Amino acid sequence: MAFDVRLRVNERVATIELKGELDAGTAARFHETVDEAAATGAIELVIRAEQLSYLASAGLRALVFARQKMGDDVRIAVVGATEPVARTIKLAGFDHSIDLVDA
Amino acid sequence: MAFDIGAAADRPGRSGHTVTTADCVRLAPRRSPAALRIPAELAVLDQVADFVLRLGHRAGLESNALYRLRLAADELATNIVMHGYRGATGEIAVDGGIDPDQVWVRFEDDAPAFDPREGMRAPALDVPLAEREIGGLGVYLAFTSVDCFAYELVAGRNVSTLVMRRSATR
Repeated sequence: MAFDVRLRVNERVATIELKGELDAGTAARFHETVDEAAATGAIELVIRAEQLSYLASAGLRALVFARQKMGDDVRIAVVGATEPVARTIKLAGFDHSIDLVDA
Repeated sequence: MAFDIGAAADRPGRSGHTVTTADCVRLAPRRSPAALRIPAELAVLDQVADFVLRLGHRAGLESNALYRLRLAADELATNIVMHGYRGATGEIAVDGGIDPDQVWVRFEDDAPAFDPREGMRAPALDVPLAEREIGGLGVYLAFTSVDCFAYELVAGRNVSTLVMRRSATR
Protein backbone atom coordinates (compact mmCIF):
# COMPACT_ATOMS: atom_id res chain seq x y z
CA MET A 1 0.00 0.00 0.00
CA ALA A 2 1.28 3.43 -0.89
CA PHE A 3 3.42 5.40 1.49
CA ASP A 4 5.37 8.57 0.91
CA VAL A 5 7.53 10.67 3.20
CA ARG A 6 9.13 14.04 2.42
CA LEU A 7 11.43 16.24 4.47
CA ARG A 8 11.99 19.94 4.16
CA VAL A 9 13.89 22.24 6.50
CA ASN A 10 13.27 25.95 6.80
CA GLU A 11 14.88 28.21 9.41
CA ARG A 12 15.78 25.20 11.57
CA VAL A 13 12.25 23.85 11.53
CA ALA A 14 12.18 20.38 10.00
CA THR A 15 8.89 19.37 8.45
CA ILE A 16 8.16 15.76 7.55
CA GLU A 17 5.09 15.19 5.43
CA LEU A 18 3.57 11.72 5.62
CA LYS A 19 1.16 10.23 3.09
CA GLY A 20 -0.48 6.84 3.05
CA GLU A 21 0.04 3.96 5.43
CA LEU A 22 2.79 3.84 8.06
CA ASP A 23 3.21 0.26 9.20
CA ALA A 24 5.90 -2.36 9.76
CA GLY A 25 6.59 -2.48 6.04
CA THR A 26 7.08 1.28 5.59
CA ALA A 27 8.32 2.50 8.99
CA ALA A 28 11.99 2.15 8.01
CA ARG A 29 11.61 5.02 5.52
CA PHE A 30 10.07 7.26 8.16
CA HIS A 31 12.83 6.25 10.57
CA GLU A 32 15.51 7.21 8.03
CA THR A 33 13.83 10.55 7.42
CA VAL A 34 13.70 11.30 11.14
CA ASP A 35 17.41 10.56 11.23
CA GLU A 36 17.98 13.04 8.39
CA ALA A 37 15.87 15.66 10.16
CA ALA A 38 17.85 15.25 13.37
CA ALA A 39 21.10 15.63 11.47
CA THR A 40 20.06 19.11 10.29
CA GLY A 41 20.19 20.41 13.85
CA ALA A 42 16.55 21.43 13.72
CA ILE A 43 15.08 23.02 16.81
CA GLU A 44 11.56 21.88 15.96
CA LEU A 45 10.13 18.86 14.15
CA VAL A 46 6.72 19.20 12.55
CA ILE A 47 5.11 16.04 11.24
CA ARG A 48 2.30 16.78 8.82
CA ALA A 49 -0.15 13.92 9.14
CA GLU A 50 -3.20 15.20 7.28
CA GLN A 51 -2.73 12.56 4.59
CA LEU A 52 -1.53 9.78 6.87
CA SER A 53 -4.34 7.26 6.52
CA TYR A 54 -2.98 4.57 8.85
CA LEU A 55 -0.54 4.34 11.75
CA ALA A 56 0.69 1.10 13.33
CA SER A 57 2.99 0.59 16.30
CA ALA A 58 6.01 0.45 13.98
CA GLY A 59 5.32 4.11 13.18
CA LEU A 60 5.04 4.90 16.86
CA ARG A 61 8.50 3.42 17.39
CA ALA A 62 9.85 5.94 14.88
CA LEU A 63 8.28 8.71 16.98
CA VAL A 64 10.12 7.38 20.03
CA PHE A 65 13.29 7.37 17.95
CA ALA A 66 12.60 10.99 16.99
CA ARG A 67 12.31 11.96 20.64
CA GLN A 68 15.51 10.08 21.48
CA LYS A 69 17.46 11.44 18.54
CA MET A 70 16.39 15.07 18.74
CA GLY A 71 16.56 15.50 22.48
CA ASP A 72 14.12 16.87 25.01
CA ASP A 73 14.55 20.51 23.97
CA VAL A 74 13.21 19.98 20.46
CA ARG A 75 9.47 20.41 20.12
CA ILE A 76 7.88 17.60 18.15
CA ALA A 77 4.39 18.22 16.80
CA VAL A 78 2.06 15.98 14.82
CA VAL A 79 -0.27 18.21 12.84
CA GLY A 80 -3.65 17.33 11.38
CA ALA A 81 -3.83 13.67 12.35
CA THR A 82 -7.12 11.97 11.53
CA GLU A 83 -9.23 10.78 14.45
CA PRO A 84 -8.08 7.13 14.42
CA VAL A 85 -4.42 8.09 13.98
CA ALA A 86 -4.68 10.58 16.87
CA ARG A 87 -6.43 7.90 18.94
CA THR A 88 -3.53 5.52 18.43
CA ILE A 89 -1.00 8.17 19.48
CA LYS A 90 -3.02 8.96 22.58
CA LEU A 91 -3.62 5.30 23.43
CA ALA A 92 0.14 4.76 23.39
CA GLY A 93 0.52 7.73 25.74
CA PHE A 94 2.74 9.63 23.31
CA ASP A 95 0.69 12.81 23.54
CA HIS A 96 2.45 13.60 26.84
CA SER A 97 5.66 14.18 24.95
CA ILE A 98 4.55 15.00 21.42
CA ASP A 99 2.12 17.81 20.66
CA LEU A 100 -0.99 16.82 18.76
CA VAL A 101 -2.09 19.88 16.79
CA ASP A 102 -5.38 20.18 14.89
CA ALA A 103 -6.06 16.51 15.48
CA MET B 1 5.01 -3.67 33.74
CA ALA B 2 2.78 -6.47 32.55
CA PHE B 3 -0.63 -5.46 31.34
CA ASP B 4 -3.34 -7.06 33.44
CA ILE B 5 -5.62 -8.72 30.98
CA GLY B 6 -8.09 -9.29 33.76
CA ALA B 7 -8.41 -5.55 34.35
CA ALA B 8 -9.90 -4.82 30.96
CA ALA B 9 -13.57 -4.11 31.47
CA ASP B 10 -16.39 -5.32 29.26
CA ARG B 11 -14.43 -8.14 27.75
CA PRO B 12 -14.58 -11.86 28.27
CA GLY B 13 -11.77 -12.77 30.58
CA ARG B 14 -12.09 -9.89 32.99
CA SER B 15 -12.20 -12.41 35.81
CA GLY B 16 -8.65 -13.31 34.84
CA HIS B 17 -9.18 -16.62 33.06
CA THR B 18 -7.61 -17.28 29.70
CA VAL B 19 -9.88 -15.98 26.96
CA THR B 20 -10.55 -18.67 24.38
CA THR B 21 -12.17 -18.53 21.00
CA ALA B 22 -15.36 -19.90 22.50
CA ASP B 23 -15.55 -16.83 24.74
CA CYS B 24 -15.38 -14.54 21.73
CA VAL B 25 -17.38 -16.36 19.09
CA ARG B 26 -20.53 -17.84 20.49
CA LEU B 27 -21.04 -20.44 17.79
CA ALA B 28 -17.85 -22.19 16.84
CA PRO B 29 -17.41 -20.93 13.32
CA ARG B 30 -16.89 -23.23 10.41
CA ARG B 31 -13.78 -22.49 8.47
CA SER B 32 -14.72 -19.57 6.31
CA PRO B 33 -14.42 -19.84 2.56
CA ALA B 34 -12.89 -16.38 2.84
CA ALA B 35 -9.42 -17.52 3.85
CA LEU B 36 -5.85 -16.46 3.23
CA ARG B 37 -2.52 -18.22 3.55
CA ILE B 38 0.62 -16.13 3.47
CA PRO B 39 4.30 -16.61 4.26
CA ALA B 40 5.31 -15.16 7.64
CA GLU B 41 7.01 -12.09 6.19
CA LEU B 42 6.42 -8.40 6.90
CA ALA B 43 6.48 -7.61 3.20
CA VAL B 44 3.22 -9.45 2.53
CA LEU B 45 1.20 -8.36 5.55
CA ASP B 46 -0.68 -5.83 3.44
CA GLN B 47 -2.61 -8.87 2.21
CA VAL B 48 -3.93 -9.29 5.75
CA ALA B 49 -5.05 -5.67 5.75
CA ASP B 50 -6.79 -6.13 2.40
CA PHE B 51 -8.52 -9.25 3.68
CA VAL B 52 -9.73 -7.60 6.87
CA LEU B 53 -10.84 -4.41 5.13
CA ARG B 54 -12.86 -6.37 2.58
CA LEU B 55 -14.46 -8.45 5.34
CA GLY B 56 -15.27 -5.38 7.40
CA HIS B 57 -16.74 -3.55 4.43
CA ARG B 58 -18.97 -6.54 3.70
CA ALA B 59 -20.10 -6.52 7.32
CA GLY B 60 -20.88 -2.82 7.18
CA LEU B 61 -18.51 -1.89 10.02
CA GLU B 62 -18.38 1.86 10.52
CA SER B 63 -15.07 3.41 9.59
CA ASN B 64 -13.52 3.73 13.05
CA ALA B 65 -14.44 0.17 14.00
CA LEU B 66 -13.03 -1.07 10.70
CA TYR B 67 -9.82 0.89 11.28
CA ARG B 68 -9.41 -0.66 14.72
CA LEU B 69 -10.06 -4.21 13.49
CA ARG B 70 -7.49 -3.70 10.73
CA LEU B 71 -5.01 -2.25 13.26
CA ALA B 72 -5.48 -5.22 15.59
CA ALA B 73 -5.07 -7.71 12.76
CA ASP B 74 -1.99 -5.92 11.45
CA GLU B 75 -0.35 -5.81 14.87
CA LEU B 76 -1.17 -9.45 15.59
CA ALA B 77 0.21 -10.58 12.23
CA THR B 78 3.35 -8.49 12.75
CA ASN B 79 3.73 -10.06 16.18
CA ILE B 80 3.48 -13.58 14.75
CA VAL B 81 6.22 -12.78 12.24
CA MET B 82 8.54 -10.99 14.67
CA HIS B 83 7.99 -12.86 17.92
CA GLY B 84 6.35 -16.11 16.86
CA TYR B 85 8.48 -17.30 13.97
CA ARG B 86 11.38 -14.95 14.88
CA GLY B 87 12.69 -14.81 11.36
CA ALA B 88 12.20 -18.50 10.61
CA THR B 89 10.21 -19.44 7.55
CA GLY B 90 6.59 -20.30 8.18
CA GLU B 91 3.04 -19.67 7.20
CA ILE B 92 0.11 -17.75 8.62
CA ALA B 93 -3.44 -18.82 7.87
CA VAL B 94 -6.13 -16.18 8.21
CA ASP B 95 -9.84 -16.64 7.97
CA GLY B 96 -12.77 -14.61 9.04
CA GLY B 97 -16.51 -14.43 9.16
CA ILE B 98 -19.52 -12.27 9.70
CA ASP B 99 -22.07 -13.17 12.33
CA PRO B 100 -25.30 -11.26 12.89
CA ASP B 101 -23.73 -9.14 15.63
CA GLN B 102 -19.99 -9.36 15.09
CA VAL B 103 -17.10 -9.80 12.72
CA TRP B 104 -14.27 -12.18 13.58
CA VAL B 105 -10.80 -12.74 12.16
CA ARG B 106 -8.75 -15.80 13.13
CA PHE B 107 -5.03 -16.37 12.77
CA GLU B 108 -3.35 -19.77 12.89
CA ASP B 109 0.37 -20.42 12.78
CA ASP B 110 2.87 -23.18 13.51
CA ALA B 111 5.41 -21.09 15.39
CA PRO B 112 6.43 -22.34 18.85
CA ALA B 113 3.53 -22.07 21.31
CA PHE B 114 3.19 -18.38 21.95
CA ASP B 115 0.31 -16.46 23.54
CA PRO B 116 0.76 -12.96 22.09
CA ARG B 117 -1.05 -11.44 25.05
CA GLU B 118 1.75 -12.46 27.39
CA GLY B 119 4.04 -9.94 25.72
CA MET B 120 1.54 -7.14 26.05
CA ARG B 121 2.71 -4.01 27.85
CA ALA B 122 0.61 -0.98 28.71
CA PRO B 123 2.41 2.31 28.06
CA ALA B 124 4.56 3.44 30.99
CA LEU B 125 3.14 6.95 31.11
CA ASP B 126 5.36 7.94 34.03
CA VAL B 127 8.52 7.25 32.04
CA PRO B 128 9.79 9.90 29.59
CA LEU B 129 9.06 8.86 26.01
CA ALA B 130 12.73 8.68 25.04
CA GLU B 131 13.39 6.19 27.85
CA ARG B 132 10.42 3.93 27.35
CA GLU B 133 10.64 0.29 26.52
CA ILE B 134 8.14 -0.02 23.74
CA GLY B 135 8.10 -3.77 23.26
CA GLY B 136 4.58 -5.07 23.62
CA LEU B 137 2.99 -1.87 22.39
CA GLY B 138 1.64 -3.44 19.22
CA VAL B 139 -0.18 -6.19 21.08
CA TYR B 140 -1.47 -3.62 23.55
CA LEU B 141 -2.91 -1.61 20.66
CA ALA B 142 -4.45 -4.77 19.24
CA PHE B 143 -5.99 -5.81 22.55
CA THR B 144 -7.47 -2.39 23.24
CA SER B 145 -8.81 -1.96 19.70
CA VAL B 146 -11.19 -4.91 19.50
CA ASP B 147 -14.01 -6.27 21.59
CA CYS B 148 -12.38 -9.64 22.12
CA PHE B 149 -8.87 -11.01 21.64
CA ALA B 150 -8.64 -14.75 22.27
CA TYR B 151 -5.79 -17.21 22.12
CA GLU B 152 -5.70 -20.99 22.22
CA LEU B 153 -3.11 -23.64 21.48
CA VAL B 154 -4.99 -26.15 19.31
CA ALA B 155 -3.23 -29.37 18.29
CA GLY B 156 0.09 -27.58 18.56
CA ARG B 157 -1.01 -24.60 16.49
CA ASN B 158 -1.32 -21.05 17.79
CA VAL B 159 -4.85 -19.80 17.20
CA SER B 160 -5.71 -16.17 17.91
CA THR B 161 -9.12 -14.68 17.28
CA LEU B 162 -10.12 -11.03 17.07
CA VAL B 163 -13.75 -9.96 17.31
CA MET B 164 -15.38 -6.62 16.63
CA ARG B 165 -19.03 -6.08 17.36
CA ARG B 166 -20.87 -4.75 14.33
CA SER B 167 -22.57 -2.11 16.41
CA ALA B 168 -19.26 -0.94 17.88
CA THR B 169 -19.18 2.82 18.10
CA ARG B 170 -16.33 3.38 20.57
